[in-house]
Amino acid sequence: MDDRGEGGATARAERRTLLALVAAVLFGLGSAAALTRWSESLRPVAGAPEVADELYLKPETARRLSLNFNGLVADWYWMRSLQYVGRKVLAYEGQLQLDDLSPLKLKVLAPLLEQTTTLDPHFYAAYEYGAVVLPAVDREAAVRLVQKGIDANPREWRLYHQLGYIHWQGGQFKEAARVYEEGAQQSDAPTWMRAMPARLEAEGGDRSLAREMFTRLHNEAGDEQIKELAIKRLAQLRSLDERDAIRRVLAIYRERALRCPESWAAIAPVLSRVPVLRLGPDGAPLDPTDKPYVLTAGGCEVELGLGSEILRQ
Amino acid sequence: MSSRERRPNSWRRIMAIARNTFRESVRDKVLYNLVFFVLLLTGAAIFLGDLSAGEEFKIIADLGLSATLLFGVFIAIFVGVGLVYKEIERRTIYSIFSKPVGRGEFLVGKYIGLCLTLLVNLLVMGAGVTLALMYVRRPHNPSVLYVWPALLLIYAELTIITAAALLFSSFSSPSLSALLSFLLFIIGHFSADLKAFAVSLGTQGAKVFFTTLYYLLPNLANYSFITPASYGHAPEPRALATSLLYAVAYNVALLAAASLIFRRRNFK
Repeated sequence: MDDRGEGGATARAERRTLLALVAAVLFGLGSAAALTRWSESLRPVAGAPEVADELYLKPETARRLSLNFNGLVADWYWMRSLQYVGRKVLAYEGQLQLDDLSPLKLKVLAPLLEQTTTLDPHFYAAYEYGAVVLPAVDREAAVRLVQKGIDANPREWRLYHQLGYIHWQGGQFKEAARVYEEGAQQSDAPTWMRAMPARLEAEGGDRSLAREMFTRLHNEAGDEQIKELAIKRLAQLRSLDERDAIRRVLAIYRERALRCPESWAAIAPVLSRVPVLRLGPDGAPLDPTDKPYVLTAGGCEVELGLGSEILRQ
Repeated sequence: MSSRERRPNSWRRIMAIARNTFRESVRDKVLYNLVFFVLLLTGAAIFLGDLSAGEEFKIIADLGLSATLLFGVFIAIFVGVGLVYKEIERRTIYSIFSKPVGRGEFLVGKYIGLCLTLLVNLLVMGAGVTLALMYVRRPHNPSVLYVWPALLLIYAELTIITAAALLFSSFSSPSLSALLSFLLFIIGHFSADLKAFAVSLGTQGAKVFFTTLYYLLPNLANYSFITPASYGHAPEPRALATSLLYAVAYNVALLAAASLIFRRRNFK
């Protein structure tokens, strides 16, 4: 009886000790968390951590230190590049396009992609992303990056296509034609690469060539964001063609009626005969995102509607 | 007893020690934790892949194979350096050597036992990586299987690290052996730099010294095939065979050196 009572008392004491220890752990952690929050509230809010974005290691040093794990470290830098851009995009208030992120001041993007591709020179996704995003930030760095990719993978025709795209975008059509010519000589290069040098020489800044460029960019891209950008740019080109067609109809109407139309209804029968145009129920022509165009300047000019998702630049 | 009669018995004794070492290692819960951690990392790589803009396959292969190598090195070093030390510490080595077991046989048996353990661990980790890759790519995509040649090369590298851990533990304490083995793993990946360094030096003596070092230290860069595997590339059969033969030759040298030292060791 006494033993049982003594045993019970010991067990109760044990339980009390256990509970006290659990309570102490919870109390300690809770207090630490509360104190952290309190000390954070005392500190002034820091600005954007630009310093944290700096790279501490040179690409070649990082490659040497990575031992057999260079692929893994390259992945890490690749994801860091995406996070870096993503963070800036989220913090920016306004419209942005993947091929014009210049307002974000992405000064560390080029070194990050340089680091990624030094660690893993066959990382095609990094070159592709650099070819599309970098030119608006630092064109020379973009050319250097993709040229480095070509040096490391001279038989990869898609890299020549990326470099040609950068030169074409910068208006350097001769340089772009030269790169496409080199790319077309690679064994796996598709036949359309062979036609590009001549087209670049002849149609450099034409819309039809732009359409070809963005179609190829869309078809060859592995990154969904780049595909999406190409689709938007193609829709923009289609919309430009549509607006040109509408302007021609408006000009004919003005010539004949000696005034501009008051509404779409006045020219709807003519617009319906233009093959590239689609009309809404009220006779207004629709843009590629199915939003109606609007008449401006007293019906003499056509513009994108307010809700239109077509790129304006 | 003639040498021909002795040989099969010697092999039987080595295998008996290997079996015991394997059983002992398999019972070690730390190993399960390490393997589980690798599988967890590989699983996590599936989610990480979502942040990689279409590079899921590469991320999973890189992370899975790198984790397999790193944790394999931990297992090889930390189990390897304890193999001999534990027997001395528990004094079970006296009862082993009271039987007709040679010191060399004991070491080779221990080595084979740990290599078997590593093989089983690697097979489990490799299966985990393959399943994760099959999850993100269609199961019948052949590039999923190209992680296996990379795993074979990782295994060859681990056998060298295990032999090195055994060599160091034959004459020094476990902590020093672990440190030396880990340093050898690091230096082994810098072998190409050692050669380049030797070429760039001015004096003939320094050139000879660094060239000798280059050939003496294990050339672990031979086993770096994780990144190509992550692109679904397979190694060239001749390069693969050369790397595997190199591992055999280097392991023979390390085990022979370990046996030489261990034969002279005083356990008192």
